[in-house]
Amino acid sequence: MLLAVLFTNIEGNILVERFHGVPAEERLHWRSFLVKLGADNLRRAKSEELFVATHKSVYIVYTMLGDVSIFIVGKDEYDELTLSEVMCTIISSVKDVCGRTPTERLFLDKYGKICLCLDEIVWKGMLENTDKTRIRNLTRLKPPTDI
Amino acid sequence: MYGERQDSSLPLRLRGLSHLHKTPHSIDRSPVVLSSHFPSLPSSSIPSDLATPTWLSPLSKRKDDDHDEEEEYSPFHGIEKGAVLQEARVFHDPQLDARKCSQVITKLLYLLNQGETFTKVEATGVFFAVTKLFQSKDTVLRRMVYLMIKELSPSADEVIIVTSSLMKDMNSKTDMYRANAIRVLCRITDSTLLAQIERYLKQAIVDKNPVVSSAALVSAVHLLQTNPEIVKRWSNEVQEAVQSRAALVQFHALALLHQIRQNDRLAVTKLVTSLTKGSVRSPLAQCLLIRYTSQVIRESNANLQGERPFFDYLESCLRHKAEMVVFEAARAITELSGVTSRELTPAITVLQLFLSSSKPVLRFAAIRTLNKVANTHPLAVTNCNIDMESLISDQNRSIATLAITTLLKTGNESSVDRLMKQITNFMSDIADEFKIVVVEAIRSLCLKFPLKYRSLMNFLSNILREEGGFDYKKAIVDSIVILIRDIPEAKEIGLFHLCEFIEDCEFTYLSTQILHFLGNEGPKTSDPSRYIRYIYNRVILENATVRACAVSTLAKFGAMVDSLKPRIFVLLRRCLFDSDDEVRDRATLYLNTLGSDPATETDQEVKEFLFGPLDVPLINFETSLRNYVASDVPFDIFSVPKEIKSQPLAEKKAPGKKPTGLTTAPSAPTSVVDGYEKLLSSIPEFSGFGKLFKSSAPVELTEAETEYSVNAVKHIFDSHVIFQYNCTNTIAEQLLEMVTVFVDPSEAEEFSEVATKPLRSLPYASPGQTFVAFEKPEGVPATGKFSNLLKFVVKEVDPATGEAEEEGVEDEYQLEDLEIAAADYMLKVGVSNFKNAWDGMDPDNERIDEYGLGVKESLAETVKAVIDIVGMQPCEGTDVVPNNSRSHTCLLSGIFVGNVKVLVRVSFGIDGSKQVAMKLAVRSEDPEISEKIHEIVAEG
Repeated sequence: MLLAVLFTNIEGNILVERFHGVPAEERLHWRSFLVKLGADNLRRAKSEELFVATHKSVYIVYTMLGDVSIFIVGKDEYDELTLSEVMCTIISSVKDVCGRTPTERLFLDKYGKICLCLDEIVWKGMLENTDKTRIRNLTRLKPPTDI
Repeated sequence: MYGERQDSSLPLRLRGLSHLHKTPHSIDRSPVVLSSHFPSLPSSSIPSDLATPTWLSPLSKRKDDDHDEEEEYSPFHGIEKGAVLQEARVFHDPQLDARKCSQVITKLLYLLNQGETFTKVEATGVFFAVTKLFQSKDTVLRRMVYLMIKELSPSADEVIIVTSSLMKDMNSKTDMYRANAIRVLCRITDSTLLAQIERYLKQAIVDKNPVVSSAALVSAVHLLQTNPEIVKRWSNEVQEAVQSRAALVQFHALALLHQIRQNDRLAVTKLVTSLTKGSVRSPLAQCLLIRYTSQVIRESNANLQGERPFFDYLESCLRHKAEMVVFEAARAITELSGVTSRELTPAITVLQLFLSSSKPVLRFAAIRTLNKVANTHPLAVTNCNIDMESLISDQNRSIATLAITTLLKTGNESSVDRLMKQITNFMSDIADEFKIVVVEAIRSLCLKFPLKYRSLMNFLSNILREEGGFDYKKAIVDSIVILIRDIPEAKEIGLFHLCEFIEDCEFTYLSTQILHFLGNEGPKTSDPSRYIRYIYNRVILENATVRACAVSTLAKFGAMVDSLKPRIFVLLRRCLFDSDDEVRDRATLYLNTLGSDPATETDQEVKEFLFGPLDVPLINFETSLRNYVASDVPFDIFSVPKEIKSQPLAEKKAPGKKPTGLTTAPSAPTSVVDGYEKLLSSIPEFSGFGKLFKSSAPVELTEAETEYSVNAVKHIFDSHVIFQYNCTNTIAEQLLEMVTVFVDPSEAEEFSEVATKPLRSLPYASPGQTFVAFEKPEGVPATGKFSNLLKFVVKEVDPATGEAEEEGVEDEYQLEDLEIAAADYMLKVGVSNFKNAWDGMDPDNERIDEYGLGVKESLAETVKAVIDIVGMQPCEGTDVVPNNSRSHTCLLSGIFVGNVKVLVRVSFGIDGSKQVAMKLAVRSEDPEISEKIHEIVAEG
């Protein structure tokens, strides 16, 4: 299960968050934990450099994409390698939507479309699509070209 | 509203979520960090069909000439829920403006993502308005509508409004409408609606369009949680989807099929058997299949001999082109129970290759797996030592930390010094949480190679002097304390390092803990006077808490070392002028106690007062003191109840939690034993049983989540055994009274019941204990099996008032059997240097015999079985059997009931036909006990 996908800006403010199967009362802990993880490790990170953390059976893969930090939390089959696959999909789709590595402003400009992409990539905690062209088509309700 | 720049001092970014920065409680920081670049992905600029709406452009005229300032604007700056809800009225327009509607939905999504909540009325209003948008044929808007409905999660009574539109879309000729409508419907559906759309979903699962198929499959995975009966009817379609050519469909179908069949072991085996023949294309699905295969292997392991089923499949996955699959297979092989070195070798080889991968995620995954393997098969990992040593300088500190800790496990005694040099350079540039992991690894290494204590202790003292936070310093201090306790030779040097540390320690907690420890251990050293200077310095230089603690420590030296007493008196008298009343009070108390008239206070009483445990439970003590503060009645320590209401320490201890130095005891968890000792001594029926020899870990007598949860602790005395039954009532509507356990010792002939202590009342969720005591022949390790029946009077409790009915009904509840084995009479107590200890024992008390154990699966299994039978502590890491070994010697140490020290040297040999022979040499302080150990082994 993909437990959470979280986008924050450089200051750690939440831009987009999606939780799956995480009780509401635990979400605040997760948010603050991930934001702190980012603050501790992403400060001098290069864009798209992947970071990974693990805690018992839960894995976290996170990165910096331009001005935006992205965190993905998973467990069971969504281990560090699968999460890095999900992260690559998210990175490529966000860059695809924004046309380049996003600034915070650009990210917010394309907010609606990014939400749609995310909806195509992760649905209720499961990875659904990994190809950015297909995702782009799906967000426009166009059939994927690879069919 | 967005056309002009606001005051530049105002925060223009998103609203600050300062509340998010609280420290999380649910999870700890963990070894983190990897870094690498993934290949840069092509960034194609596509025309956005959700083009930047006009309201998002803060100041278009500045866009070109002042890019930086423009960047600072948030398009959502100043966004307000009320205003957006007003804007949502455009959804009702007869002529829908699709673009405008998309913008408003984006704003609503943003609000929801920021944690904004809509009232029931607001949510209903927005939901109804959004449903109007189904009129529009604009595809982008329709996609947004689908997302918005999912986000709003309408209630059951509202769903009906949108159902017909979604059903229409679900049957649309446009595939994308179908896929999205399925996802939305499954999100908002209930079982009644599901029954209506079941036929369409079954069709969708086998739809030729993989997007539709995946949508139906993922929906089904979620629906399985709420409507398993319906989803299980789709097995045939899912089975068909598993054969799909589309990778993701295969992945989703396999996950669903396994979930449907997970409780049917035979079906899972069939699934694995058919798929491992090579019809899975998707790497993600392949990873799932590897996991399911491991599960099948695990479950069939107990019944099969010889070749492991499916191992060839796992091995073939090691040659898969996807790294993800290769890694999954390697990990699965390393986690096989009883994995042989022949099986391990190919997996270790690919993991070794991953260690030098350019991708940090792979390096991390590989070293993490090898780290785990090193716990059980350290020799199998030694081939990777060179690669791991190069990872010590990995930029990613978590990889470096894992490499170090793995090397510490795989290294031998001769490589310790070289490793320590490398670690010294490494420690300065890692974060505290990594340092703690390294310190713990060094502690384990020192216990494994006690002769190396000098260099390892020096390392610990060096890092103790460096900068670091509380947790890190505590980990070091705990480690030094554990080493002092386990390696007698390290005591003086360790205490000296601790004294040096408190000379410049910024943590009051650590200073007081060390002073307390010093007070207990320092007087027993060869030259106690050398510590006085460090302790008295605390009285001069530290805060009141530490000063008070130092006064107590001085008093302990005075009580234990007569030659120091006069000088201690001088120092204590100086403390009478301290500015803090607690320090003065303690000094006065100790001066009077130590210097009192010998006729009134014996030396033994003084020592008991200074060193003895507080004979009331701390929790009760605290409660009594709180009551005292609120009342006018003088405090009387004898009024503090001695009965512990909650379960004793053993149950509260987290499983697998490592002992912490200052709070745990040398070998057995004395703090737990102390807790039991106090508990048992407070019960008059057991007062004549003498000193408690051993208390077992709790044995569960009920399954998890039953009405009544019961576990038992076996307390062993010289001629008695007490069973302590820890009972918990998990039913809120019941109160249990007069709870006892009826024990039938018919299969334990040497035991006769002598006392029972019932539990008067067992309310809901408030654990309590009942006891049954047996007499047995003194010093004899009598064994037997006891059947247990929980008996009680049950009373109904009114949930409204919480009051129980007056009349109760007698009832009983069958518990699992409890067994007393020979190992229960043995205390696991290690020795720091086995050879010295062995040579120090009288050879006349040695008893040697040889045993043929017959055909065994492996040497490691046999060694573990023998250790379990005798219940002794393995020394010097000899419980780990190197792979492929044909012989092995295991060193064991323990104390047998009656406080007889026992050492065992047991050698095993295995031949080609797996026949195992064993030579058992036992030395103890009593030759009869040596004989007895042989009897125990022979019977086991």
